[in-house]
Amino acid sequence: MQKINYIAVILAVCLLGSCHKLDLAPVGVISDENVFSNANAVKAYMADIYANLPIEDFVYEPNQGFMAGNGGRWQCFYHTDAIDGEMVGPFGGTGDAAQGFGFWPYDKIRVINVLISKLPSYASNFTADQVNEWLGEAYFCRAYTYFALVKRYGGVPIVRTVIDPNASAASLLVPRDKEEDVYNFIASDFDSAYALMKDPGNSVPQGTASKYAAPAYKSRAMLYAGTIARYGSANYVDGDARAKGFVGIPAADANTFFQAAYDAAKLVEGHFTLYTGGYPDKQQNYVDLFLKPNNEDIFLRQYTQSDPNTGGPTPDNGGPHSWDATMTCRIMTADGLSRAYPSEDFVERFGALPIVNPDGTPTRFSNRADLMQGLEPRLLATVYFPGAVLRGIPFDVQRGIYKTFTGSAAQELQNNLTSPNDVQNGANINLWLGDINAVVNGLDVIGRAGVSTNGDDLTRTGFYVRKYVDYNKAASSCGLYQSTQSYIDMRYAEVLLNRAEAAMELGGAALADALSDINQIRDRAGAPPATAGMTIDTVRNERCKELAFEHQYWWDIRRWRTADQVLNNRNMYAMLPYYITSENKYIFLKQLEPFKRTYNFQKNWYYEPLPGGELGKNSHLFPNNPGY
Amino acid sequence: MKRLLISGIIGLLFAGISCTKTDNYPGPDSAFQGNIIDSVTGKNLVTETGGVQIELKQLSWSDNPAPYYIPSKPDGTFEDTRIYSGHYSVIPTQGAFWPVDSILKDIKGATSQNFTVVPYLEITNVTHVQDADSLVMTFQLQAPRTNGLPQIIDATEFVNNTSFVGSGAFIQSFYNESSATVSINSNWSSAIAATTYRTVVHNLQPGWTYYARIGVRLNDSYKKYDLSDIFQVVMPTK
Repeated sequence: MQKINYIAVILAVCLLGSCHKLDLAPVGVISDENVFSNANAVKAYMADIYANLPIEDFVYEPNQGFMAGNGGRWQCFYHTDAIDGEMVGPFGGTGDAAQGFGFWPYDKIRVINVLISKLPSYASNFTADQVNEWLGEAYFCRAYTYFALVKRYGGVPIVRTVIDPNASAASLLVPRDKEEDVYNFIASDFDSAYALMKDPGNSVPQGTASKYAAPAYKSRAMLYAGTIARYGSANYVDGDARAKGFVGIPAADANTFFQAAYDAAKLVEGHFTLYTGGYPDKQQNYVDLFLKPNNEDIFLRQYTQSDPNTGGPTPDNGGPHSWDATMTCRIMTADGLSRAYPSEDFVERFGALPIVNPDGTPTRFSNRADLMQGLEPRLLATVYFPGAVLRGIPFDVQRGIYKTFTGSAAQELQNNLTSPNDVQNGANINLWLGDINAVVNGLDVIGRAGVSTNGDDLTRTGFYVRKYVDYNKAASSCGLYQSTQSYIDMRYAEVLLNRAEAAMELGGAALADALSDINQIRDRAGAPPATAGMTIDTVRNERCKELAFEHQYWWDIRRWRTADQVLNNRNMYAMLPYYITSENKYIFLKQLEPFKRTYNFQKNWYYEPLPGGELGKNSHLFPNNPGY
Repeated sequence: MKRLLISGIIGLLFAGISCTKTDNYPGPDSAFQGNIIDSVTGKNLVTETGGVQIELKQLSWSDNPAPYYIPSKPDGTFEDTRIYSGHYSVIPTQGAFWPVDSILKDIKGATSQNFTVVPYLEITNVTHVQDADSLVMTFQLQAPRTNGLPQIIDATEFVNNTSFVGSGAFIQSFYNESSATVSINSNWSSAIAATTYRTVVHNLQPGWTYYARIGVRLNDSYKKYDLSDIFQVVMPTK
């Protein structure tokens, strides 16, 4: 009897269990409906897309990538412009980062494609404006991501849809598209973004894309395509991938792309302006351009102090960065160290410095800071010269002390310490070099800000980076992960430079427009205007000066196909201050930077190799780029 | 109970071990070597370490094999004694010579294969003269094939203090001297063939032994150097 009772109870329990349906939505998984029925949820979804957008910002490293959640992201000195010679720095040479880091963000593209494909079916939950704005932003982000791919690899697979992971292998192994097709796809996505987003008027959103950001970026992408068509068809590495169009664009299409770049840049006119809020002091104005919100900013990445983000389960790029702590000298900061320094080669883009007399001897200065008199305000706002002051502390940069100095500046150029002035030992000692503690006759041999060759945490070139350094903050709040100034990924000055370069390449009637674009930039910079005879080199040099340390020069010398010439067994130069005791004067010698690193560029680096892991997974990605 | 647990764990361990497959592929037990022959001189190509790369693709392994490279030695030979046996496509590449076609080769045991290449340029009539602390070199250029020759960029006097001297091994401050390099930047012409070029390196140290040679490069995909023979120079003591 008892046994029967037990059986009955067990049966009853089983019966109850059978009443549940098994096909239930799992409560632990967020469904499409959860996301696309609520404006805040869509915004959160968009925030994730923006956080993972491949923006080359303060924390980006050319050999490590976008550093989301990476504990090394404090090292802002691992900068793109430290492999191309704009700065000399922590890298041994160009090859340290020229082949990239295996960037392959198709997971992020999928996230964007989900929104583009699913949001329209939930459109009734929102106003039409909301839906269009979100879709526009998604198209913008997709084009942005593909541009980050195409500029590295050339042609990559174009994936427009959300591919079912259970689909057949044939549809999962997406083949490479031609480089030209990828650029055209990017153009059409930016066009869609522009068409969908509404004109924000005077309230341009910060940190997200807006209607006129789309043509601004389109002008950049189309300019890249145009120059690759024109110059890549003359300077290239042969191979299968080139023969099949996966890398390289026919030269005949160059002008089509330049026209598209020009038209897109012109579309932005009137919606943004060059920042002049700090006039009449053009140097201070240029410094503040990078620190104060203004109407030149087109697209920003913002940072907050509250999210320390040095790891954790949901790493993103929103935490603070360390630009202040890692780009200037430790004596002006609370923490960290610097390792990347502007080269004399970069500084000379603004013209030779007045450090040599007509007879070839070094010019004598009573004071280090005197050198800065009469230099272009934009240069002084971009680079800290010896004698400049930050947070009340001077850059007392000095390489060493000469007892006497005779002869020319040129004999010291190679920095071999073999000239008659360079006797460092014995009774006739004439030159003292040393570390930060070295003292001779009561004088510091080098300044507290360098120059030192013991380690690389003091300048090796005489210069420090000034752009983006927040002079308003106390030294105590310039530690690691304490900087929150926004990174300006696109500003109107670049749009003008894109427009001018495209106009120069088009030639003819557009030349006058190029001149007026360049002179708007020059006027704001405090530089003398360019004249009607200017060449493409004038425009390119202006771009290098204006966009220094903004991750641009590296991509520029790649797309101009000049990298193998400008980085050809190249040593970079420094401008090193010395004190002469017998004269109580300072001299500045142009010399090879003391580490004498050599920068070289192999032609196959005009494209990065496709990541080996992806080639292993998808045989349709072959052939790899030429030379790999 | 405890014994049961222990024997269970031991059993699981054995089961775990049995899951690993044995790697029964043969190791890289073959060797591949040969000479790269200069078609003009009929002798080995005068080059430098890595001046030419022998590219191997193991077709018996995959349809899209990752390329494997054997760098040349300065005497124009190459050798690698750790090669997987198999069917390969082989081509000498990344050097300063006219492109050649790849060949198919079965590599098994000690396999050798010579390749004949046509250098872009031969460096002829090389002279070197010591002048106080300077080393002056003169030379001429000859092109075995002129039609479609890539643009000639420059010719450089490489100087090093070991006999390994070439575009990857030189004293940088000599290289940085403008007189060490002759910029040509021009397509082949009879004027180039008729010119005797001159390079000078200064500030050699007294009493030192140096090694020097001329390299000339063309603007092809690889920008590698055609090189002259190496000269030894002993500087007199002061």
